[in-house]
Amino acid sequence: MHWNQIYLVLKREYLTRVKSKVFIISTLLIPLGFVAYIALIIGIQFWESEPRQDIAIHDQTSVLVDRLIERNEDRYQNLSDASIDSIRTLVQTGRMDGYILLTEEHVSGDATPEFIYTGSSSMALQTSIRTELRDVIREERLTRAEVTEDVRNIFDSTVALHSRKLTETGDEEEDHAAFYSALGFILGLIIFFSLFMYGTIIMRGVIEEKSNRIIEVIASSIRPIELLTGKILGITSVALTQFLIWTGLIFLIGLAASPLAMMLAGDISADPAAAQAVGGIDPATFEIPAVPPSLIILFFTFFILGYFLYSALFASVGSAVDSESDTQQLMMPVFILLFIGFFLNVEVVQNPDSALSIFGSLFPFFAPMNMITRVAISSVPFWQLAVSILLMIATITGTMLLSARIYRVGILQYGGKAGFKDLLKWFQQS
Amino acid sequence: MTVIDVQNVSKSFGKTEAVKNVHFQASPGKIFGLLGPNGAGKTTTLRIINYIISPDSGKVLINGKQASPETQKWIGYLPEERGLYKKMKVGEQLLYLAQLKGLSAGESRKRIRYWLDRFGALDWHSKQVGELSKGMSQKIQFIATIVHEPDIYIFDEPFSGLDPINSELLKEIILELKDQGKAILFSTHRMEQVEQMCDDICLFNNGRAVLTGNLREIKKRHGKNTVLLEFQGDSSFIDKLEGVRINNRSTNFAEIRIMNGMDSQAILKKALDHAEVQKFELVEPSLTEIFITTVGEDNINPKELV
Repeated sequence: MHWNQIYLVLKREYLTRVKSKVFIISTLLIPLGFVAYIALIIGIQFWESEPRQDIAIHDQTSVLVDRLIERNEDRYQNLSDASIDSIRTLVQTGRMDGYILLTEEHVSGDATPEFIYTGSSSMALQTSIRTELRDVIREERLTRAEVTEDVRNIFDSTVALHSRKLTETGDEEEDHAAFYSALGFILGLIIFFSLFMYGTIIMRGVIEEKSNRIIEVIASSIRPIELLTGKILGITSVALTQFLIWTGLIFLIGLAASPLAMMLAGDISADPAAAQAVGGIDPATFEIPAVPPSLIILFFTFFILGYFLYSALFASVGSAVDSESDTQQLMMPVFILLFIGFFLNVEVVQNPDSALSIFGSLFPFFAPMNMITRVAISSVPFWQLAVSILLMIATITGTMLLSARIYRVGILQYGGKAGFKDLLKWFQQS
Repeated sequence: MTVIDVQNVSKSFGKTEAVKNVHFQASPGKIFGLLGPNGAGKTTTLRIINYIISPDSGKVLINGKQASPETQKWIGYLPEERGLYKKMKVGEQLLYLAQLKGLSAGESRKRIRYWLDRFGALDWHSKQVGELSKGMSQKIQFIATIVHEPDIYIFDEPFSGLDPINSELLKEIILELKDQGKAILFSTHRMEQVEQMCDDICLFNNGRAVLTGNLREIKKRHGKNTVLLEFQGDSSFIDKLEGVRINNRSTNFAEIRIMNGMDSQAILKKALDHAEVQKFELVEPSLTEIFITTVGEDNINPKELV
């Protein structure tokens, strides 16, 4: 290996990319896209409004229907005066979405109400109807039993759960499990997207050198493995530059955020109604838990290792084709590995220390995503971190050797789409 | 003295034997031509010399040293498949390629200016390659090949795709380099270029070097066995000649290779009987003719020779 030449390749890859418009635009747009993506997910959960359902109530007890309408006037309509047959016709013709017949049996007896409907009915809708029915029937039963106000209050009360984490040093600290789960998931997501994005960039770079026909001139000056190493290191540097810019931005926003929050807090405390509107969270005391520096270091470590691992594969795929449209078949195994790692992250977030999560965080192709998520959420034993990193380094050596052998033959092949058989042939040839 | 010494080199790709036991030497101050039809193994041989691929057996010595990353720096190589990074500026690109060949940044800049100036391209220095015309980027490719001023130059089909002006320019450079005592190796499937420029040749066919040596000597060895005939009138007598092979023919010209036993004077007589002879010349055979004689008519596809 001639490191001064690898450095020349690295420098070219880095400078031509960092100076390009694409880099500047993507550095600005990707965080916006990411924020928009997360906002969309949260938004869907908060704003998920069910389509309005009209449900006819035929209440023979005449004590339940008013309470139901009081709870949800958009949903229930009192059709106690209409006959069941005419209500059925309304539902059948689609003017109502469903109906419920309530009788004395439901209050004094043990009968279960039945919801008859047409069209579609979601689990969420049925759950909410059940809750509302249970509440009104229970209320009527309590009224009939003539219980005291105290007993009623007991039924109305709810119990919350506060959690505090006992650390190894014996201190109790504020539990931010939700925050760290979200953080872990986001870090895993960032690594997944980055491997994908920067992997595609290196693949395009290799294809470009082939289709520009410059590759043979380069190959007459340096070894293919040196070119490959230089490219990977160059694009890793581009990625790290982008991450550092983003980290800097987050830091600046963080600095700006607390005075901003103070200003907001000032405004809000002057206006009690507004304080109510933000859901009772006092911005002045709302603090974001600290992100441990070790997590940031591990994030970069796992990104870099993951990138070395995947970029070699992406590069060898690039070397085997003449244009990007021919990459699909060869990309499949790489995509599958990335996606399994990504989907395993859902399990890791829920059960960070389950056997499956531990496997994912040790298996080299999933570790970059799964381990960082685990580290953020749970306290991962040191030996697992060490094993994970060592396994990745060993696998990187393997994939680099494999890819370099395919790469050095592939870059000189033109015409025709290469398949897995060709790759195997090239591997044996070189 | 030998600068490129190819010793019994063989290379197979799967079941195809691209190069079989090829053997030749190239010397400084001389132009060595590698010729033969497409697919004869020329490019593979050149890649092996450039240490881009390794031979299965045999070896290549450059200035007495086995081909290695070090010997790569002593060679300027213009591949058949050539191009440049489209999104880089001309100057940056030449600097990068010169530095990859081991030149310092300062020295590279000086030489890049010199060569751009020589090619009348100094004002392209800050232009992106993508903005250049095809002819312009061809010039930049030559400069990239020679900017580190090595002792050995290898051109693979250098004239293919060149416009006439660049073709002349490249020829001029090659002859200039030869006069400076550099060793030049180039491959082509166009025989007439070899006749004009080469000192030594190596004929390739089906992966084998079928004929190697000094061009003058090879021609002399074949003797003056070819008649160049220019005439006016009926040309049908040519078809009736026996013991000859007609290599090149138009309405009033014929290149006639005399086979065993036939007398050149008999051809002249026949010609005088049927047409007005304007020129009759007995010459050494053309390289195309030598190639056909060497590999045998049945073993080649004549369409591949131009």
